[in-house]
Amino acid sequence: MKSFLIKGGIVYDPLNGVEGEVIDIGLRNGVIVDPSSLDPRETIVVDARGMMVVPGGIDVHSHIAGPKVNTGRVMMVEDHYLTNIPGKMGLRSQTGRTVPNVYKIGYGYARLGYTTVVEAASPPLKTRHTHEELDSIPIIDKMTLILMDSNWIALDYISEGDLKGLAGYIAWLLHATKGYGVKIVDPGADLAWLYGKGYGIDLDTQLPEYNLTPREIILMLGEASTLLNLPHPIHVHCNRLGYPGNYSTTTRTLELSSKYSTGNKISMHITHVQFTGYKGSTWATLGSGGEEIARILRRQRNASVDLGQIIFGSVTTMTADAPFEHVLFHISRWKWAFADVEAETASGIVPYRYRRRNYVNTVQWTIGLEVALLTKDPWRTFITTDHPNAGPFTKYPRVIAWLMSRRAREEEMKKVNRRALKKTALPAVDEEFDFNDIIIATRAAPAKLLGLEDFKGHLGIGAQADIAIYNIDPGKVDPSRDWKIVEKALSRAEYVFKDGRIVVRGGRVVEETYGSTLYVKPEIPEDLSKTIVDKVREMFPYYYSIQYSNFIVDLSEIRKPREIPVKTLL
Amino acid sequence: MTSTSIVQEALEEKLGERRQLEILLVTGRSLVQGMSMEAEGKRSRRYRLSASTLSLNPEDAQLIGVEKNSRVRVETEHGAIVVNVSIDPGLPRGTGFIPMGPWANAVVCPLTDGTGMPKYKNIPAKVRPTEEQVPSVEELVSIITGRRVDAHPVELDLREGEKKIIEDFVCPFCGDLCDFIKVHLNGNIVEKVVGACPLGSSKIRNYHRDRIVKPYIRSPSGLLEECTLPKALDKAAEILASSKHPLIFGLSSTVNEAIIVGVELAEYLGAIIDNTTVVCHGPTTIGVMEAGAARCTLGLVRHLADLILFWGCNPAEAHPNHFKRWVIEGGKHVKGRKDRRVIVIDVRRTATARMADEFIMVEPGKDYELITALRMAVKDLDIEQSTVAGVPREKIYELADALRSCKYGVGFFGMGLTMNEPRYRSLEELIKLAHDLNDWTRFTVVPMRGHYNVTGACQVSTWLTGYPFSVDFMRGIPKFIPGLTTATDALIRGDVDAALIIASDPVAHFPRKAVENLSKIPLIVVDPKWSLTAMIADVVIPSAMSGVEAGGTAYRMDGVPLRVKKIIEPPTGVMEDHRILLEILSRVRRLRGE
Repeated sequence: MKSFLIKGGIVYDPLNGVEGEVIDIGLRNGVIVDPSSLDPRETIVVDARGMMVVPGGIDVHSHIAGPKVNTGRVMMVEDHYLTNIPGKMGLRSQTGRTVPNVYKIGYGYARLGYTTVVEAASPPLKTRHTHEELDSIPIIDKMTLILMDSNWIALDYISEGDLKGLAGYIAWLLHATKGYGVKIVDPGADLAWLYGKGYGIDLDTQLPEYNLTPREIILMLGEASTLLNLPHPIHVHCNRLGYPGNYSTTTRTLELSSKYSTGNKISMHITHVQFTGYKGSTWATLGSGGEEIARILRRQRNASVDLGQIIFGSVTTMTADAPFEHVLFHISRWKWAFADVEAETASGIVPYRYRRRNYVNTVQWTIGLEVALLTKDPWRTFITTDHPNAGPFTKYPRVIAWLMSRRAREEEMKKVNRRALKKTALPAVDEEFDFNDIIIATRAAPAKLLGLEDFKGHLGIGAQADIAIYNIDPGKVDPSRDWKIVEKALSRAEYVFKDGRIVVRGGRVVEETYGSTLYVKPEIPEDLSKTIVDKVREMFPYYYSIQYSNFIVDLSEIRKPREIPVKTLL
Repeated sequence: MTSTSIVQEALEEKLGERRQLEILLVTGRSLVQGMSMEAEGKRSRRYRLSASTLSLNPEDAQLIGVEKNSRVRVETEHGAIVVNVSIDPGLPRGTGFIPMGPWANAVVCPLTDGTGMPKYKNIPAKVRPTEEQVPSVEELVSIITGRRVDAHPVELDLREGEKKIIEDFVCPFCGDLCDFIKVHLNGNIVEKVVGACPLGSSKIRNYHRDRIVKPYIRSPSGLLEECTLPKALDKAAEILASSKHPLIFGLSSTVNEAIIVGVELAEYLGAIIDNTTVVCHGPTTIGVMEAGAARCTLGLVRHLADLILFWGCNPAEAHPNHFKRWVIEGGKHVKGRKDRRVIVIDVRRTATARMADEFIMVEPGKDYELITALRMAVKDLDIEQSTVAGVPREKIYELADALRSCKYGVGFFGMGLTMNEPRYRSLEELIKLAHDLNDWTRFTVVPMRGHYNVTGACQVSTWLTGYPFSVDFMRGIPKFIPGLTTATDALIRGDVDAALIIASDPVAHFPRKAVENLSKIPLIVVDPKWSLTAMIADVVIPSAMSGVEAGGTAYRMDGVPLRVKKIIEPPTGVMEDHRILLEILSRVRRLRGE
């Protein structure tokens, strides 16, 4: 394998405390090595003078694969007609806009300099499908979170108050599905949805069938994953998402994070916080809860959020929050797909369009930015658009420009609904992120949140050689003024290395490689494991319509599995 | 000719005219047709007897003076065919039924109205008694295609050996993918199949019969000549590499691994790639594009469904385990058959209808009207006509009320809706009906998928190309234009110049016009068995039977992915589908200079 020397670049590597220094970086055999150890005869030198060299980007929340994504593709065929890029030079053809095909996803992320993406929600029963689709996505490393909040077996354990049993079951389920973490979506809502309920349930709403509330579900799942010492904490989509006044549900959920956390570790990740940051009591009186959320978040050191930032334009919303999609269907009045999955979860898909002149959409737009700018902690606020719910991932550079430049925001604010702006704090916010903040929020912090900081998200010796080089000189460009230059540079990486190979050059994908699929393997005591397997085997024929043995995803089914071993506290 | 015979002939002609019956012809699956196709193959007597039969209402039959086993000539605008008669009191007057197959296809309507779906149902036809003979499969195929029908079926050597019981075997027959099957193996003999329906069992037990085990290339004499595998692969690659716009069709009876390579091959060649969805639930999929979906996994039917509607589908004959698994068995909340209300809507009293609590007979081809009326009734709008599609208005109000007042309703639907005149409009309307009902209660509608991995074929195609079926790469980018890129239309219009058919039998199931054109172009077939298409092919490549001799992923009709298993070694020198496609792909690349 060839080795590379990235010479003269301006390096940002927050995990190693490097902020804009000129450092040479050597790569060999897919990992970062000491440049002096490279054999000059076998080394290709990449001239990165005047360019920004950073670790490959990590997206902690994106819907890129799985049953609902694929249904979204079928529903949004009109998206594919005018967005085709033919496959050339050994690449495959790309198509789609809000829900692109696998090639457009892989190449698209690579062009942005992203090398790792988390699929945010997969129903256990159909996770084999999710893996098949992830396997088809080129270039990036990937992993999938597993939906657990309405899982009947998990709820059985929770209602019995059997914490150890629940932890054991989570370990079994993650192992059986080769998943990476626990996803909670509008906790309990999909359980209620099966009975025609679940609309706008709050933390203390009594759920049907089980004598439980969403609060108890979050706490138990949070506690169990802490006990399992999972690398990624519970990933929560809050109750009452999309309902006016829901910011208080979010802040109360945030407060739960300290109830079971240990030490400084982040014990709860709240996702696409924009959708759960609404003040006001109706759509007409909607306001931004961004300030309040930022205030609570600053205090709750064990929690983090990602933005779910709105991008004006067309989107395809898709979520395991089935009841909310039903509500959205009545707002959008066009197409709606839902699918209920036995004993586990459900999902919904509704295409939608965010418009600048729309009062509600404008309020939504301000919330994500407010949370990020007012919290001012890039270690705990991640940049996402909840692709494809709030906007496509390809617009990340636009979000970054808004965060880095007040002028960029003002430019946008000229075009949006004036009445809505008056109700939000954003026009008064002066805060601006610098390059280091951005690299923290898109590389270093996500690697830590996913528990992968050993080999991802930094450029130290031994790290995975996933590197993005952008043609921009942070010393010369003032992002506040020249935000357009920043946006352009970040949209098309000059070079991207994936596992030590050049996959993007000059903003074009030049080689199709396939990354690994990461999954966790929590080691649990043998006797507990046996109890769990016995119980699951007993319940399985009753709850499920397939056989126990056919449920388990085998490693041989995954193109390039990479195990993340976990030492549990059990 | 003597004068008496002329007089006699004239008399008979006159009599024939008087004894002519006008019917609406419906085609579809029947249990015996499906079983015999899987067991003895399509050249068998049993298949011939079942698939070359027109079922008629007893009164209709009496009218033209025919009875069981008489022969009749069925004539439509699109062709004529001689078939046997059988009597079915479940059929309404004026409707005739021929199981899907080459006989039916000789007379069905090839027009797809820009949807890809020919009209397989409700075709106006004239029936009169005849003394002519019913053509055999071989005769029929050679008349239509003008090719010499040739087959070299082999019954695999069965050898006793290690005795094994395979547990949790996934049946590779229909979209229900029963995964609790026990297969008793003795060496390579399937001794017993426990839990499978007659169709699935027939497929698994008879895996060794009617097999293709050697590659063949059609010789100048018009017969198939055995050759080596590399030679057959070379020839296949040559045909594909030199074609301008080939067609890759089938894929629904193979595993995802093969479909993924198939799409890559199509993209490289600039080909059309299509799966059998185009002639089954293609309109449903277009309905999803128009309106969305309302689905659930089948386990929930067991747990929750207190009302089950079967509309235009006949699982008793096409998915024989379906009723038992999801209607009779109980779940968490609904304890079994007696707690469920089962309603069947169909044009004839099918075997499924006989198991239902209620049967509503709809006029052939009028399902769309009935769904629309139901939507009106669900919204409490007044229906002006006293009957819609042959169903009294009061009945519609009553049905709407039943749908609204159940706790969790599930509608299964099939070809009875997709093959009608309005095509996807019926499905769009049905999906919207389910959407409307979700304002009252929970209601889902689930398509009854036929081939065991047709769902997987759609899923794979969607994530790779953005479109679920009928994808054309001619311009280097995926295009989906129903009526243009659909395999049926491309063949009917003669838009393709070579074809690779894999794990499917279009000669048996496409309208006559499409089959005629298919026989005019170089034709490659990859199949484990002697399908009718294989018998007229230019290149025949044997493949391992996926689901028995090859493993991989397949998707159940509700999208639940399962692994089908390899339990028996394929015959020597026979590869699995995905390896064959990979071999062809690498050869094509070489030929095109890479």
